[in-house]
Amino acid sequence: MSGDRQLVHDPLDRQVRLFVYQHILRREKSPTAAEIAKALACSTKRIRDSLSRLSESHAFMLQENGELWRAAPLSCIPTSFPVRVGKHSWFGNCIWDALGIPAMLEKDARIDASCGCCNYEMPVEVKGGRLAPGRGLIHIAVPAREWYRDVVFT
Amino acid sequence: MLLFRSEQHVDRWCAQWNRPRGGTLSLAQGWKLAQLWYGDRLNPEWKPMNAEQARSVFRQVGLVGEFWKLAS
Repeated sequence: MSGDRQLVHDPLDRQVRLFVYQHILRREKSPTAAEIAKALACSTKRIRDSLSRLSESHAFMLQENGELWRAAPLSCIPTSFPVRVGKHSWFGNCIWDALGIPAMLEKDARIDASCGCCNYEMPVEVKGGRLAPGRGLIHIAVPAREWYRDVVFT
Repeated sequence: MLLFRSEQHVDRWCAQWNRPRGGTLSLAQGWKLAQLWYGDRLNPEWKPMNAEQARSVFRQVGLVGEFWKLAS
C-alpha cells in the first residue's frame, strides 16, 4: 500500500512488473535481476533501480542481495503457504497472500495451510470464485499502520 | 498473517512468541480482502493503493477500529 498513486510511473517499471509476474506464473520461480535485464535488453543496474522503485509500494520486496523476495501476492522464496492451481504451484508469504493468488488469477486453488500454533493441517480451497467451507481464523499480529516495519511477524 | 484452528491457538501462539494479541478475521473476510486487494494485480495499468483506497477496502470487509487504522 502506498500514499502515492504515481509510484509506478517509469515505463521500464511497468515492463519489469509485468515481466516478473509473467515469469513467476509461467515458471513457478522468480527471475533474477540479470534474467530480467537480459529479457528486457537493458542493464542489470537499470533493472535493480527499477526493482528498488517498485519496492517503494511494498508490492515488491527485495532480499538483502537485491533479488526479489516478494511480488505480492506471490512469494519468491518457499514458505508455509503453498498454493496449487491446476498443475501449477506457487507460494504466498502469508495466508492473505496465499488467498490472493486465486483471487488474482480468478482460478480454483488449494492452499496447503496449517495452524500457525500447532501445525495441524488446515487446507483451504477456492472453487468457482468461492471459498469452500472450512474452520479457522486469521490472526494479524501487527497493527495496520506498522505492517511494513515488521513484515516477518505481520 | 497466519491461520489458526481457534482463538485458543491464537492465544497460545501469542504467548509462545511473546507478542500482544493482534487483529483477527474470519477466513471468509480474508478471502474478500484478498479479492479486493489482489484482484487487479495483473492489470498492466495497476497502481498501488493509496491510504484512502485501502481504508475503503477495510471498511468493505468489515475491518474497523484502531487496529486497522492506517497512517495517512
